[in-house]
Amino acid sequence: MNREQNMAGESPQMDMELEQALKHFKSSVDAWSYAVSTDAAGSRPRTAAKLAVRHSWRMAAGWALGCLLAAGSLTVAGHEIYHRQQLAKLAAQKAAEQRAAAGRATAQPTSAQPVSAQSDQKAPAATVRKVGVGNEDSARSQDSARGQDDNLLAAVDSDVSRQVPAAMEPLAQLMDDNGTQ
Amino acid sequence: MRGRGASTKVMAAGTALEPLSADSAEDIAAQEFARIVESHRPQIFRFLLASLRDVDLAETLTQECFLKAHRNWSHFRGDSSAMTWLMRIAINLQKDYWRNRRMQFWRQTRTNAVDLDEASEWLPNGERSAEQQILAKEQVAQVWQAVKGLSERQRTVFLLRYVEERELSEIAAATGLSEGTVKAHLSRAVGRVRAELRGTR
Repeated sequence: MNREQNMAGESPQMDMELEQALKHFKSSVDAWSYAVSTDAAGSRPRTAAKLAVRHSWRMAAGWALGCLLAAGSLTVAGHEIYHRQQLAKLAAQKAAEQRAAAGRATAQPTSAQPVSAQSDQKAPAATVRKVGVGNEDSARSQDSARGQDDNLLAAVDSDVSRQVPAAMEPLAQLMDDNGTQ
Repeated sequence: MRGRGASTKVMAAGTALEPLSADSAEDIAAQEFARIVESHRPQIFRFLLASLRDVDLAETLTQECFLKAHRNWSHFRGDSSAMTWLMRIAINLQKDYWRNRRMQFWRQTRTNAVDLDEASEWLPNGERSAEQQILAKEQVAQVWQAVKGLSERQRTVFLLRYVEERELSEIAAATGLSEGTVKAHLSRAVGRVRAELRGTR
């Protein structure tokens, strides 16, 4: 195929431009190929320099990105560890408080006993009749303490039942009704 | 290459009375091949460089091309010219490369292909004014842009025609296509170049 056939129907100016562009393209490829294949010193300084600069930039960018990623992951890991430690501390604190509260709650009824025991200990000095009276007193005080606990629990239950969400209101009312009944 | 211990006696042209030894036949073949390498290497390299825009890869494939040619030199019957035969090997190597690259897409293949701006910076230092140089550079960049958008076959045909200045019959022999197909590919490729030139004018 000849070029004249290819360029049929085009303006002469366009033909000339195409032909010129193709000629320049060929000479450009020739020059490039020749410069690269001979690889004489300074035959392609521009490209070599450009490539070196580009490679160094790529390397620097790669290193910077790598360092950034490493620093980021280390920071995240450190923060995560710190956060967990804080949570563990809080949990331990809460547990200790709960334990203390439970201890206090259990200590109350037992501390009531020594008082009666103390009164009991004072009793041996009295007569046998008095001992019998002392026993009755301690039993009475135990009963009253138990009654107080029951009252407290009933009050708490009623408070809790009053705090139920609206959807449970009818049930709570029923409970109240039953309680009053 | 012909085997070292081959018992065949090669008769050199014009010396029919004196049979050549296997060693001397090998020497002749080696010399002949060395001559072919010397004369055709620049063209093969240039074609591969223009096709791939990667200097290292073009070097590697050129070496591989001549290695393959050396191995199969004994099978070269001379139906076509040595240049056409070598070009065919180069085209097949290039095809294999593109196929492998497509296969290795997810395997992070690295390419050192230069960008189009860099490729268009090469111009011979002719006696041209600065303005002409700039114009020529622009045109070269436009042609590169068009070449980049061509299919593998179109690009091969285009480069063989306008860079290597091969005849259509040679291109057909090198690519294994019919002349009609070569014409069609060439016409499309030129149309693309023309459109690129027209589009940026």
